[in-house]
Amino acid sequence: MSRALRECWLSFGQFAATFGGFQLFSLRLLPYVPKSLLRPGLISEQIYSLGALSLVLIMFGGLFVGLVLALQSYNTLVEFGSTDSLGAFASEALVRELGPVVAALLFAGRAGSAVASEVGLMRATDQIAALELMAVDPIQRIVVPRFIGGAVSVPLLAAIFSAMGVLGAYLVGVHLLGVDAGAFWSQIQDRVDAYEDVGVGLMKSFVFGVSASLMGVFEGFYAAPTAEGVSRAATRTVVITSVWILLLDFIITGMTLPEV
Amino acid sequence: MIKVYAASPENLVEIRDVHYQRGDRSVFRGLSLDIPRGSVTAIMGPSGTGKTTLLNLVTGQLNPDDGVVLFDGRVVCPCSRRRLYEVRRKMGVLFQSGALLSNLSVFENVAFPLREHTRLPEELVRQIVLMKLHSVGLRGAWQHMPAQLSGGMARRVALARALVMDPELIIYDEPFTGLDPISMGVIVRLIRHTNDALGITSIVVTHDVAETHELADLSYLLSDGKVVARGSPQELQRDQNDTVRQFMQGLADGPVPFHFPGPEYTEQLQAMAQA
Amino acid sequence: MRPDSATSIGVGMFILLGLGSVLFLVTQTLSMNRISASGTYALQARFDHIGNLKVRAPVSLAGVTIGRVTKITVDASQYRAVVEMRIDSKFDNLPVDTDASIATTGLLGGKYVELNPGMEEIALQDQDEIELTQSAVRLENLIGKYMLKSPGDK
Repeated sequence: MSRALRECWLSFGQFAATFGGFQLFSLRLLPYVPKSLLRPGLISEQIYSLGALSLVLIMFGGLFVGLVLALQSYNTLVEFGSTDSLGAFASEALVRELGPVVAALLFAGRAGSAVASEVGLMRATDQIAALELMAVDPIQRIVVPRFIGGAVSVPLLAAIFSAMGVLGAYLVGVHLLGVDAGAFWSQIQDRVDAYEDVGVGLMKSFVFGVSASLMGVFEGFYAAPTAEGVSRAATRTVVITSVWILLLDFIITGMTLPEV
Repeated sequence: MIKVYAASPENLVEIRDVHYQRGDRSVFRGLSLDIPRGSVTAIMGPSGTGKTTLLNLVTGQLNPDDGVVLFDGRVVCPCSRRRLYEVRRKMGVLFQSGALLSNLSVFENVAFPLREHTRLPEELVRQIVLMKLHSVGLRGAWQHMPAQLSGGMARRVALARALVMDPELIIYDEPFTGLDPISMGVIVRLIRHTNDALGITSIVVTHDVAETHELADLSYLLSDGKVVARGSPQELQRDQNDTVRQFMQGLADGPVPFHFPGPEYTEQLQAMAQA
Repeated sequence: MRPDSATSIGVGMFILLGLGSVLFLVTQTLSMNRISASGTYALQARFDHIGNLKVRAPVSLAGVTIGRVTKITVDASQYRAVVEMRIDSKFDNLPVDTDASIATTGLLGGKYVELNPGMEEIALQDQDEIELTQSAVRLENLIGKYMLKSPGDK
């Protein structure tokens, strides 16, 4: 029993140490960002591998979440006779919450772990050391483009996710469950606010994107230079990114809910 | 007290009285050695004596706790990242694994330092890269990806890359490890040829006694964080010191013991039986 | 480095798709009244009870939304709720005796402010207060009222 407690305490300590190291690393990255923008080719490559290649996952995810959301909420709304609000209900949930959060989680799983493994492998095969010795700053060349690529991709992915979700809700709601198409779209226009809801969603997804990318490159860069180290970096990335996103979501949602 | 170090002009690299500790293990306690210009110098020693640490000290990746490392008469220090990089541009390092960037082709890998540090026109870059690849015998493989290369070939490409900026010093970290005799012969020939043809200085870290014999002008044998022997490979072969002899002749037992330190045999048997 | 054409096309399409999605979401949620170019002016009204009227609730005239509720506070001296709202400047001819009542959308929907224009010639200006107000009808009071009327009374 006491051993379990000690383990918990140790991992908390590790978490705190990692967290501190992570903050320092993030600060270290910042000055490089402006210079990196001068090499759009590198960033574009990363946007492709992190964002464009995640498209299939995100689009499917969005579509199916939308479908399920419509089915599930119809179930409840029909009791109150408010099935006309199906569109608004589903869209608001998607745009404010599900889009940013689920897209970011999927991103962490697919792209975050990929970045961590890639950078970790470069560390393990001395490529990072080789870069340093060739007088090329690995942070500038390897880390920052991936960070920017991810930070740019996630908001776009979240928007695509939400849009697909709304489409999915439309397909189920109107064509399967018989909700009136006109009511569907007009309720959305009425109840979901472009600035507040879509805006908050975009802002969230930007914050999530920055976090997820940072964590991925951080874990990869400081991975132990062994095969084990790389795989551990990948799994840790997914775990800490997911936890962090959910935590952040709670905080941001709390801050941005309209006055009740 | 400020210690003043005067470098001798015939040495490209000088290591003076260097102390380095890793954790609570002291790796070097007062290590001193010189690398003469234009020579191929071998640094040998049993595994774990800190040969790689030594390389890191020369390139500035690590900082000595005490003592100084001089390159071309100036101290290698991490004063500023930029100064460090200036020094490093005159060095080429060949890693054990080659350390080619895995997402770039052979050509792109060799061209990498040129593209990063110079603004040479593409035409010129192409000529230089092909020339360097030709000198290592891999011009035909210019389009291959690193994953498609054998270990020996990858190392040769890495050599081409290390040479592309015409460095003054080339460091080979265990270049012979894991190679078949033919590839080994190739690498030996390349190291010697490059050194002489380009008039550069080479440091070879290895524990391959036979290859060193053919290759090196000067050899150092490190043990226990100190230099135990210094001289031409032939001189080291004749050295009667126990430590040197054990290494040069590959004796299983000697100053580096066969048995891992532990309690007496009978003691351990009894202790484990009781447990 | 120079990205090859496949990568460039991929990135281009991805970004287009992403921006397209954002555009889609924004256009579906933007109510035309919000982006009125002519600006808005402020009005306020006091109510005895606002029910569950929330900020951003619509303010409508004859069933058409012409503004939004921007702030809800309490006047401690009068013990009434103060509702501030912004009205599209296109509708600058609301008579000073317009009344504002709090209505419900649907049976269980949210509350909104319904404006009923009066007869006066003078119009309400920016920062004016609507004098005539009707508080929200609370369902429980309504039910209570009907329950008290026993079948005997007709």
